[in-house]
Amino acid sequence: MLRVVKPRNARSKRALDAREPKEIEDPRTVIFVKGTHTGEVLNNVFKDLMSLKRPNAIAFNKKNQIHPFEDVPTAKASATANQYAVPNLVTASTSSSSSLANSFTGPTTPTTANPGTSLASLEFWAHKNDAQMFVVGQSTKKRPHNMTLVRMFDNRVLDMLELGVDKYVAMEEIKTQKCTPGTKPLLHFASELFDTHPRYMQLKSVLVDFFNGEVIDAIHLAGVEWAISVSLAPVPSSAGDPASSSFTVLPKIYLRTYTIKLMASGVRTPRVELVPMGPSLDLSLRRNTAPAQELWSLAMRRPKLAKTDVEKGLGKKRKNIETDDMGDLRGQIHIGKQDLGKLKGRNMKGLRDEDGRPSKRTRATAEEEKEENEDEED
Amino acid sequence: MDVSSILDAQKAREKSVLVEKETPLVVDAGHLMVTDLNVIDEESYNENLEEHLQTLARDGVQELIGKLFSLPTSSSADGPQAQLPLQEYQLPRAKPLPKPKAPTKWERFAAAKGIQHKKRDRKEWDEERQEWVNRWGRDGKNKQKEEQWITEVPRNADIDFNPQLAARQERKERVEKNQKQQLSNLKRAEAASTSSSRKEELDRTLALARGSTASMGKFDKKLEGEKKMKGVKRKFEPIEKSVGKEMKANLDLVARMGSDAKKMRGAPHKEESVINVRKAVRFASKGKGSIAMASSGRDKKSSGKGKRR
Repeated sequence: MLRVVKPRNARSKRALDAREPKEIEDPRTVIFVKGTHTGEVLNNVFKDLMSLKRPNAIAFNKKNQIHPFEDVPTAKASATANQYAVPNLVTASTSSSSSLANSFTGPTTPTTANPGTSLASLEFWAHKNDAQMFVVGQSTKKRPHNMTLVRMFDNRVLDMLELGVDKYVAMEEIKTQKCTPGTKPLLHFASELFDTHPRYMQLKSVLVDFFNGEVIDAIHLAGVEWAISVSLAPVPSSAGDPASSSFTVLPKIYLRTYTIKLMASGVRTPRVELVPMGPSLDLSLRRNTAPAQELWSLAMRRPKLAKTDVEKGLGKKRKNIETDDMGDLRGQIHIGKQDLGKLKGRNMKGLRDEDGRPSKRTRATAEEEKEENEDEED
Repeated sequence: MDVSSILDAQKAREKSVLVEKETPLVVDAGHLMVTDLNVIDEESYNENLEEHLQTLARDGVQELIGKLFSLPTSSSADGPQAQLPLQEYQLPRAKPLPKPKAPTKWERFAAAKGIQHKKRDRKEWDEERQEWVNRWGRDGKNKQKEEQWITEVPRNADIDFNPQLAARQERKERVEKNQKQQLSNLKRAEAASTSSSRKEELDRTLALARGSTASMGKFDKKLEGEKKMKGVKRKFEPIEKSVGKEMKANLDLVARMGSDAKKMRGAPHKEESVINVRKAVRFASKGKGSIAMASSGRDKKSSGKGKRR
């Protein structure tokens, strides 16, 4: 484990403070790691993905002995489809999908002599580089052009997803105009499986995190330059219900990138034309692990709404304001308690002493009250 | 004048930016994302893959761009910016939520006493030099006594009394004391974050478990040294009390009866009538409300014909 560093000067303190957890997070930094053998295709894929992801990308240029899936204990893959679900979308039922997620988990028998080293090195790199996502490349005979997307939470592995590159056209090969580096892409997902199938729901979640994890509140419309489209091959009609365990087909994934041309249409909304930009990837799903339940619930915690947002009407209702039957807005104002003791009644002659002061009885009660007030203050 | 041709042209223009699908596309403008949940058309997929993918993407992006262009805008230095709504699609966080900083001993004391935090300037005004100087650090004002060329010495001071050294020692002691306080604050914060809340939680769980049998814990086996659970006891005010207290209680009651708070919230709901009074008032007052209507009626009376009194 890394030693805990105590900052010695203001600059290193600022650098360490920048790594502290924030309420609104920065986009994830992605580290591209090469396994023992990658090959030309994967190298080029990494180069193109890095150019899309820059400046939040770090390349590891040396080869590493890393096999993330060989380390995973089988018990870790215990997730439900609903984890990736959007709250307002209809999703598959939990009961069927939890068993389903397990059935899709690939063979995870530990083959290395020292299990846990790959995950440990991922965690080490995440800590050291302050990067919370990895792309690990490895090409073997059994799994050619294999790309593993690893997502981290708090420097621990959250979930992993393996993609095989079946076909690849580089950005260079498509001779068109490219987007400005650093601009945000629009994302497009096309298939019903992104809403029903746990594997594809995970894929969507990981890809959105990879390309568009940053939280922004406004966008310059002239700066919308390019789009990423992820669509799937059609599902054969014999495959059945995607939320059931008998559904074993994993359709191919087509990832395409386009630059956007906005044409005048005569109305405010322009007409969109797309031009292929590259890279374009044909991918297939391989092994995966779903996040551990407790880690996932920690990762999905949301910050409390800010006070200004609540006042704006987000979250809670505005207090003490209501519309009455006549349609008028009525507010309730809280003023302090009225002190009836200080109320001045009529000063009647009969209640006075001879010397013109209030009678003894009224004086006594007034004094008693005064004492009590003092007691309360203590 | 016949405007149907103009309308048709406008409709045709709108049609070119409209996307019609069996299932409407799901747009999440906060993430700049659109999801097309329609089943992929096998025919066009087999016919020409790249074209099929591009048309799919174009439709989706068109819908998303339409949504982005309909968002409210704000101006910035580079031109208008579309204000994005909150994200609907939830992504896992990369790091846990930041923990609130534990208050120091002083901060807690200040909060209890209602002492306002006053920000102290880093610079201080030097009367002699007629300029702003650092409060501490390089050429700091706190080192003035050590560095001035002449210093007053108390009458009963030792022969070897060094006023510069004494001032320096005093300053160093203050620094040390502050460091000690910082350390103890850190320790206190750590202790508070771990132990006490856990203990309270355990106590609560234990109390809940002990009262969860059919007899509410009455016939359970007791361990040795197990303490009896304490419940909440009811308290009653004494019947006889001082005149002042009694008067205060009665006055409170009177005040509560007279206040508007209960009336507003607890007003019994009127029976549903055929006329929607609220809507009628809105209609009659042209959306201005009943008060506006009442006041306008009064104005009319005064300005109308008739005898003036």
